[in-house]
Amino acid sequence: MFSLTFKNLWARKWRSLMTAVAVIFGIALVAGTYVLTDTTNQAFDQIFNESLAGTDVVVTAKSEVDQQDGSTPSFASGVLKEVRQVDGVEQAAGAIFSTGAILDDEGESTGGGFSPQFISSTGPEIFEAVDYPEGGRPTKPGEATLDEAAADRAGIEIGDTIQLVGIGRAEPFRLVGLTRLGGSSFGGSSISQVLLPVAQKLTGKEGQFDQISIAADSGVSPEELRDRVSEVVPAGLRVETAQENADRNASEIRDSLSFLTIALFAFAAIALFVGSFVIFNVFSITVAQRTREFGMLRTIGASRRQILRSVLIESFLIGLIGSLIGILVGYGLAAGLSQILKAVGAELPANSLVVLPRTIIVSLLIGVGVTMISSVIPAIRSTRVPPIAALSEYIVVGGKNRVVVRTVIAVLLGTIGLFLIASTLISGTDGGSGAASIGGGAICVLLAISIFAPKLVKPAASVIGAPIEKIGGLTGRLARENSQRNPGRTAITAAALMIGLALIAFVTIFASGLSSSVNKVVDDSLPGEITLQGPGGFQPFSPLAVQEVRQVEGVEAASGVRYAAVKADGETTQISSVDPSNITRVFTVTWKEGSNDDLLGLTGREIVIGDSLSDKIGVGVGDTVELTSQTGQKFNFDVTGVMETDSIQLAGQGIITQQAMEQDFKVDEDAVGLVKLDSGVDLATTQTAIEDALDKPFPTVEVLNQGELKESQKQQINGLLAMIYVLLALAIVVSLVGIVVTLILSIYERTRELGMLRAVGMSRRQVKRMVRYEAVITAVIGAVSGLIVGVVFAFVIGIPLSGDGFALSYPVGTLLVILVLTALAGVIAAIYPARKAAKLDVLEAVSYE
Amino acid sequence: MSLRGRFRAGSGATVAGMESTLEAPSHPKSSESPIVKATGLERIYGEGQAEVRALDGVDVTFDKGRFTSIMGPSGSGKSTLMHILAGLDKPTAGTVEIDGQEITGLDDGDLTELRRDKLGFVFQFFNLLPVLTAEENILLPLSIAKKKPDQEWVDQVIDRVGLSDRRSHRPSELSGGQQQRVAVARALVTKPAVLFADEPTGNLDSKASDDVLKLLRGAVDEVGQTVIMVTHEPDAAAHGDRLIALRDGKLVHDAPPVSADNVIELLKTLA
Repeated sequence: MFSLTFKNLWARKWRSLMTAVAVIFGIALVAGTYVLTDTTNQAFDQIFNESLAGTDVVVTAKSEVDQQDGSTPSFASGVLKEVRQVDGVEQAAGAIFSTGAILDDEGESTGGGFSPQFISSTGPEIFEAVDYPEGGRPTKPGEATLDEAAADRAGIEIGDTIQLVGIGRAEPFRLVGLTRLGGSSFGGSSISQVLLPVAQKLTGKEGQFDQISIAADSGVSPEELRDRVSEVVPAGLRVETAQENADRNASEIRDSLSFLTIALFAFAAIALFVGSFVIFNVFSITVAQRTREFGMLRTIGASRRQILRSVLIESFLIGLIGSLIGILVGYGLAAGLSQILKAVGAELPANSLVVLPRTIIVSLLIGVGVTMISSVIPAIRSTRVPPIAALSEYIVVGGKNRVVVRTVIAVLLGTIGLFLIASTLISGTDGGSGAASIGGGAICVLLAISIFAPKLVKPAASVIGAPIEKIGGLTGRLARENSQRNPGRTAITAAALMIGLALIAFVTIFASGLSSSVNKVVDDSLPGEITLQGPGGFQPFSPLAVQEVRQVEGVEAASGVRYAAVKADGETTQISSVDPSNITRVFTVTWKEGSNDDLLGLTGREIVIGDSLSDKIGVGVGDTVELTSQTGQKFNFDVTGVMETDSIQLAGQGIITQQAMEQDFKVDEDAVGLVKLDSGVDLATTQTAIEDALDKPFPTVEVLNQGELKESQKQQINGLLAMIYVLLALAIVVSLVGIVVTLILSIYERTRELGMLRAVGMSRRQVKRMVRYEAVITAVIGAVSGLIVGVVFAFVIGIPLSGDGFALSYPVGTLLVILVLTALAGVIAAIYPARKAAKLDVLEAVSYE
Repeated sequence: MSLRGRFRAGSGATVAGMESTLEAPSHPKSSESPIVKATGLERIYGEGQAEVRALDGVDVTFDKGRFTSIMGPSGSGKSTLMHILAGLDKPTAGTVEIDGQEITGLDDGDLTELRRDKLGFVFQFFNLLPVLTAEENILLPLSIAKKKPDQEWVDQVIDRVGLSDRRSHRPSELSGGQQQRVAVARALVTKPAVLFADEPTGNLDSKASDDVLKLLRGAVDEVGQTVIMVTHEPDAAAHGDRLIALRDGKLVHDAPPVSADNVIELLKTLA
């Protein structure tokens, strides 16, 4: 039996391979994600380990509240003295390691996109982790180094001038050395070293360190030294061995990248879900076509179990082949994905690609599992073939159409799905479990729709086929009839496409809603004409920039906005700070309680809080809220007003004064600058004047008018959308392969019919057109149902968000374009089957049995 | 397999009935130029040791308005001959002319045109489109060619095949005999120069076979349809005006059939 199965598979190798495509893409994404994240993690492990060469113990400040930019607090340098006194310390030195900007002498950024740039300090030789392939360490205040890769990218050489931007104006340095950290790659990131005092001054951390590195006397273990040092440092500081520090940093990076892993796995799951429809369909059709063969096997004594086994072994082998190819493709995909990330400005560090045994085992298990599960029902159906089937010309298998059972299952699944989605939305569970239950719910609903779908195919094909019949005449008519012939087959093929398109419609609608919500926020809450933002739109910049702008002629008011993550009565949230004297001119607050006067009169320990925070912690005007800073200090703020917060949260969930932000929360850089111009001045002229004023001292600050701001936000959203499209395209391709395979199988089944059509005068062109029309009908059924499902999902999920000022908008034009593209994709999917059908030899076709 | 085994000899009664049909002197005489003319046909499959000469130098012509049966034992080349005459297969050597048109060199597009304009087919397995009604199946060649049906002729054809009350039935709602009559009507509706029938009764019981053969006979007698039929059933062959037989790719017999028994005898000699 086994060799028969194998021979069957071989005889239909192309079809089997195409079936395998159903899992190849999903598995490629699984394996690719593993390879990518393992590679990245390993690269980070290497960076952290190698950068601590020569270091035994590390002192850093604890972060009580994780900041959005991932920064850790610095601490007073005085503690170094105590540390040096500890018995067993050979050497100890403070260091700076902060984000900043590295520019060439023209003021052009040397890095790009979302990859951070770092300013760090040089220390004593003993802690030196880097090599100098060219030049050497900085010895004077005006000298700096740059990592070799960044210098290569920017075309900078030893002796050139680079500019470093920290807390203040951009300052020029002479490049004296290129650095290399062991075999590590920094990805898109870059790092520049200057002398310690220079680094402190650049980053606004005078009298502060980000880290103290300690080398132990010989004979003293890192663990022992760690314990000794712990006793002398104040609370709020963390003492770790170098290994512990590297491990913790690596695991924090891993956590912060886990969203990427989860997202990629989600797309893999989508592709596999779609693939399972394709596999189910192919096995259903081939089992039906092999009825005679199964009947013959039964007549010569094969048991039901043997038939079942032969079909399942076939699916096992297809799953295995698909998974193996998938793993190979995934390996290539990992390289591709990192290129995509690089293209959107988020290049990850990578050395050679890492393939762990886990990657291969999990990929094989999932691929084979999905294939076999998808083919269980067809396999069981194959066992129901009676021996008599061998003898009869035409036989219908499984004649009983269990309408009631189907309906019950569909309704049950649909209800469970809707319940899962609804309960998650109502309870507001977010994060992984929320996403999982919404995803699970969506799968249930989609399955329910697919079970119902065969009932919908006939009317749907009639409606969609109507214009095609009008254009195509007989070929259109036959195409429509053919698509209705096996409603189940068409339904599953279309359903596979429906899933991908539902998701595309959903994200398209959401992204468009997000864009228009951003526009609304800009229009509603920013009366100023100009916005300043840092590199990449999110990195903070010097507060001096806003001061500079205030001097420009035509500027009425300018205020910087800073952000800090804090705990407000234990609830982690984001607050902002403004310069109260100017803020009402550049920022419009919608009040729930209080007025602009409360904002203008905001002093030291007063706060205006957002309504959702107010609701959550039950604090209103007149109450006191306790804010915990990143370093764990607690401050009491009096609530003087409650404002409505929008979904973009430009003001966060609270507004405090700039001074409080600086003193209590140690945030001394602006994240955004808001500028209001005098009435009557020319926008373009003033914008140019502002740009000129900032160009030299603050080259990283971008000056955007409202239109440009909206555009830049839209571009970010669209960039993300594009990436999602690319990943969803995998699922779409799988469903298109589904159309291809189904068409090929149907054509094979209709060989004699096609031969007759050719014999009575149908031209090749007409045959091709007929196949194409059928593909288009199937594709459009999938597209229309997908768009409908996507719109409904977006609508339902948008309901609870509408409270936060999020307004869905339906990009009808884009959705129509998607519909047309899908119909075209149907045409493309039909190319090969149509050619195959047209090439059928009439003679063979009519004499074929 | 023995030759005798391949033949499902009809019952005596059927054969007797057949003879009565044959007795009617109803053969329209037409001695104009032949409608199908094959010259020096050869068809060789395979090469070297495996070479098979399916046709080995066949010259044959078919006159307009005649009903010719082609017979021969399995492997004699009878099907190959028909396929080549109908442009479904290409000869290794030799030429075929249909209605004055040389067809052996035609490409697929021209062959499609030829089939639309001049050829009709009836197959063993009916080959109807299950998604179309009986009438739609009959009109199919006209729809494909985007030709307007001549309603009077269509009605006449449908009436002739006795399916006037079955026009809107789907093939699955028709018996095998009815389906084959639909197929005959489909072949007649375009008034083809030649109607090729490939074992048209191979899948029918004797009553249905008889109906189909009478239809073909009628078309020849009443409207001068030219019919070329491949069959291995002596009863069927006996309906024709002319019987040609092949053996080993060569034409070995060409004469009017006398009776089914006579045909059986003839085939025995061929074996």
